[in-house]
Amino acid sequence: MSRENLLEALAGRVLLCDGAMGTQLIAAGLEVGVCGEGWNLDHADCVEAIHRRYLDAGCDMVTTNTFQATRTALAMHGLDDQVAPISQAAAELARRAAGDAAWVLGDVGPFGGFLEPMGDVTIDQLHDIFTEQIAALDAGGVDAVIVETMSDPAESATAVRAAKTLANRPVIATFAFQKAGDRMLTMMGTDPAAALAAVLDAGADIVGANCGTGLDLDDYVRLAEQLVDAAGSAPVILQANAGSPVQRDGQTHFPATPNDMARAVRRFRDAGVRLIGGCCGTTPEHLAAMRTALM
Amino acid sequence: MSELEQLTEAIRKGDRKQAGQLTETLLDAETDLEQVLGAMVTAMDDIGAKFQRNEIFVPEMLIAARAMSEAMNLLEPRLIAAGIKPKYTAVIGTVQGDLHDIGKNLVAMMWKGAGFKVVDLGTNVTPAKFVEAAREHTPHVIGLSALLTTTMPAMKSIITALREAGLNGSKVVIGGAPITQSYADEIGADAYASDAGSAVDVVRQLVAA
Repeated sequence: MSRENLLEALAGRVLLCDGAMGTQLIAAGLEVGVCGEGWNLDHADCVEAIHRRYLDAGCDMVTTNTFQATRTALAMHGLDDQVAPISQAAAELARRAAGDAAWVLGDVGPFGGFLEPMGDVTIDQLHDIFTEQIAALDAGGVDAVIVETMSDPAESATAVRAAKTLANRPVIATFAFQKAGDRMLTMMGTDPAAALAAVLDAGADIVGANCGTGLDLDDYVRLAEQLVDAAGSAPVILQANAGSPVQRDGQTHFPATPNDMARAVRRFRDAGVRLIGGCCGTTPEHLAAMRTALM
Repeated sequence: MSELEQLTEAIRKGDRKQAGQLTETLLDAETDLEQVLGAMVTAMDDIGAKFQRNEIFVPEMLIAARAMSEAMNLLEPRLIAAGIKPKYTAVIGTVQGDLHDIGKNLVAMMWKGAGFKVVDLGTNVTPAKFVEAAREHTPHVIGLSALLTTTMPAMKSIITALREAGLNGSKVVIGGAPITQSYADEIGADAYASDAGSAVDVVRQLVAA
């Protein structure tokens, strides 16, 4: 394989992740309420085409369509017995699109409930839930695991540990932040320093933020600075939404244009972010503009 | 500190075991049931206010709500036996196409903590199911939750369905990460709640109006 080690590559240059999957699936015809991860099995061509568009836009890596593919998340669609087929198929089709040149990140999202004492799930049970999905991503040939959009540092640390136990691969961990007064906190009230400390302690190699609620591009720059401060020597990842969505004539509209994202990406880089991508509302057009901006 | 005050404190701290034990003690001593309920409501009001001020967050709110549930499970049969009914009824659900329940559950807990009867319809609730529940329970308020920008338009369909069915007696309050006051105004909702704490203040104002 001609791919370099992701961490070594990141030490030498800023790399570009891909953009949103969910909003792209909806644009491709995924209906509201239907399990997008199920498309890895029954609309594999559509998912692969989305990966290819991001690669054509100049992305260095693609992320598997497995954000809600733990057994607990799939249970909402009655697909909890499909964890392994869905995640393995997702990794394989991402690999087909990426070939040998681009990296494939295996996506792991929140399990959909709460750990004790807020909820009923124990750390051991959660470890098993994440392990089941990550094993399937591993079997499908991912280069790294990305544990993303987390709010609870204990949940994220559990997923990171599961990934580290299973595969000798880099692990990325990102949290979703929102504004609380003049601070940036996760839904669970965790600040960037505490969130990143929890996942670094669990062995995460690359740490940062994705998605978030009510953040404009200036907020993401401010967040980038906090993340870089909190990460110490670890490389920082940031995947911003295309601004904070607004409703217009009954349609959701993400306000940041590709040019806006291109300008923001330089500010993220100047703040010290090493791995940059997009989240909700970003498209291959946004990522192409971001690629150009990073050249 | 009186035992009623201790119950308030136990719920505030989220001490489930102590909240249950204190409730049992209070019930065994034949304490006025409304006073026991009042001690619980005081605790959850305090939790809601602190949540709105960003002094506490989802974990503390969830733990307090679990302690409240522990106490409420003991109190509720006694309230029913004594013929004491909640003054207000609320119906709540996450809208069609949306399977996210964290925000909806928090609001349901806070409304229960404010002494409301809460009928939780779950997630992915169709306009028809909201109409049916509104007919069956004649709620004072109906709460609609959505996390996704792609599912929030379902709120408008639900409000339209309720109005077309002539169910104008129930006030509709909406909330969720992408929801704003201007969206509530646009689709004709009666109110918008920005978080689970303010959801209590909002419905109290609606039922008092």
